[in-house]
Amino acid sequence: MNGLADSLGSPFFQRALVEAVLVGVVAGAVGVHVLLRRLPFFVVAMSHATFPGVVIASVVGFNLFLGGSAFGLLVVLAVVALGASKVLDDATVIGVVLAGSFALGVLVLSARPSSSRDLSAFLVGSVLTVTRADLLTTAAVGAVLLAALAALHKELILGAFDPEGAAAAGYRTALLDTALLAIVTVALVSAVPAVGTLLAVALLTVPALAARLWVDRVVPAMVLAAAIGAASGIAGLCLSAAFGIAAGGAIALSASGAFVLSAAGARIRR
Amino acid sequence: MAGLRRLLLDPFAVPFMARALVVVVLLGILGGVLGVHLLLRRKAFVTEALQHTVFPGVAVAFVAGQSLLVGAEVAAAVSVVLLHVLTRDDRVDTDSALALLVATFFALGVVVVSRSDSFQSSLTALLFGRILAVDARQIAETALLVVAGAGVLVALHKELLLRAFDPAGGAALGYPVRRLDLVLDLVVALAVVAAVRAVGTVLLVAFLVTPAAAARLWCRGVPAMMVGAAALTALCGWLGLAASYQASVHHGLRLAPGALVVVAITAAFLVIAAATRVRAALR
Repeated sequence: MNGLADSLGSPFFQRALVEAVLVGVVAGAVGVHVLLRRLPFFVVAMSHATFPGVVIASVVGFNLFLGGSAFGLLVVLAVVALGASKVLDDATVIGVVLAGSFALGVLVLSARPSSSRDLSAFLVGSVLTVTRADLLTTAAVGAVLLAALAALHKELILGAFDPEGAAAAGYRTALLDTALLAIVTVALVSAVPAVGTLLAVALLTVPALAARLWVDRVVPAMVLAAAIGAASGIAGLCLSAAFGIAAGGAIALSASGAFVLSAAGARIRR
Repeated sequence: MAGLRRLLLDPFAVPFMARALVVVVLLGILGGVLGVHLLLRRKAFVTEALQHTVFPGVAVAFVAGQSLLVGAEVAAAVSVVLLHVLTRDDRVDTDSALALLVATFFALGVVVVSRSDSFQSSLTALLFGRILAVDARQIAETALLVVAGAGVLVALHKELLLRAFDPAGGAALGYPVRRLDLVLDLVVALAVVAAVRAVGTVLLVAFLVTPAAAARLWCRGVPAMMVGAAALTALCGWLGLAASYQASVHHGLRLAPGALVVVAITAAFLVIAAATRVRAALR
């Protein structure tokens, strides 16, 4: 445990803690909407689909957030366009687009020297190397996302539980759906520095799933999921420092641990 | 013609290129037969999930110096069983359970690999495979898995189609519907295991989902779709590997061969999708 005591004093570790907590809170709250709309496959798909955007942005020296988000939105449009013919179901179209764009990312990355180190940083994150600027970006993006969720709360809930009712009441449901997909995509991209594209899925689904086992109402579930997300970030970083394991993996595993405890707790209460 | 021959045939005179092509064709056969079943059952997400859940098994086997195949098989079997257990709770739908399994298993794999000294290069090898490094023994093992997986699907062809198109009718006729589902998931696990060393754990979904989706747009009838999907993978594998070879040998541009094959398959899908759109518009 000496590793942990040493780490606590270092500025890298303190910045990493702040980043992990910020990402955990935002992803936890957004995650409740992911579950409400049954979007977990979309999140997994986007975690792969934003990857080429992040890679291309890093090759040309562009902002990774913007690169990932922009490519992610392109992919959303591709899914909508390919799914329009109705010959193929949505899951198949998402699978095709996901696999293709991920391979594109790998291809672009393989063309550069020293690719394997950068590649694993994108895939599993490198939270200990976040800078002060990264923290500010995460905080600003997170604040915007939470504000958007709060402002659209009533409409999002109506759209999730009663889409026909929302359309009949005159809400522009397609616009609302697109807004939610955009929120989820940006939340995903903002988790990349901390846990990487593949493990961001963990923070966007698992804390919300765990919270769902304790509470039935949406707002308490969002608060609880945010708390579980933040706690997973702290616990994961401490485990990572104490045992010398990858931080992104430890954070995701802590979230899974919270789910297992919640499932056991739910069973005992019954 | 001579130029074309040099571009498309000469790369495969090199033994490791020929072996890579054999592996892609083998995976294409299993991917075609299995992929069409998955398409009919809308199981793209299960495929995607299982290709990630075998990762910790491969990682543990790698670190412990055991056979990667055994590690992958154990992890795949455990995740299929866990999926069936988790979805028994009404508050956990299949998609959420899959996301949970993907996240947990993948994180476990990352943590295990991060304990090994050669973290970066082993992670990349396990995720993306080393298609140019397969040897004759690995080809034999892959062939065995492909024959086993495709054999099960051919033997259960009638039952699986009935389950896909008329589950209630199948159950009424006394077919064990849940066990058929489990068999299909286990064959997916087998395919993931067969593909893991050649194309790694993250590119496999392209071999299972994309060719079948393209064939669905182009062919009529289930057997025709299976043959079409397998042929598409073989063709794109050939072109992709040849292009990767030319780029690296003659132009000094390193392009990951496995990824290039997948990009070729996706491009073929997009062309076919556009062609069907045009054909429908002209009609």
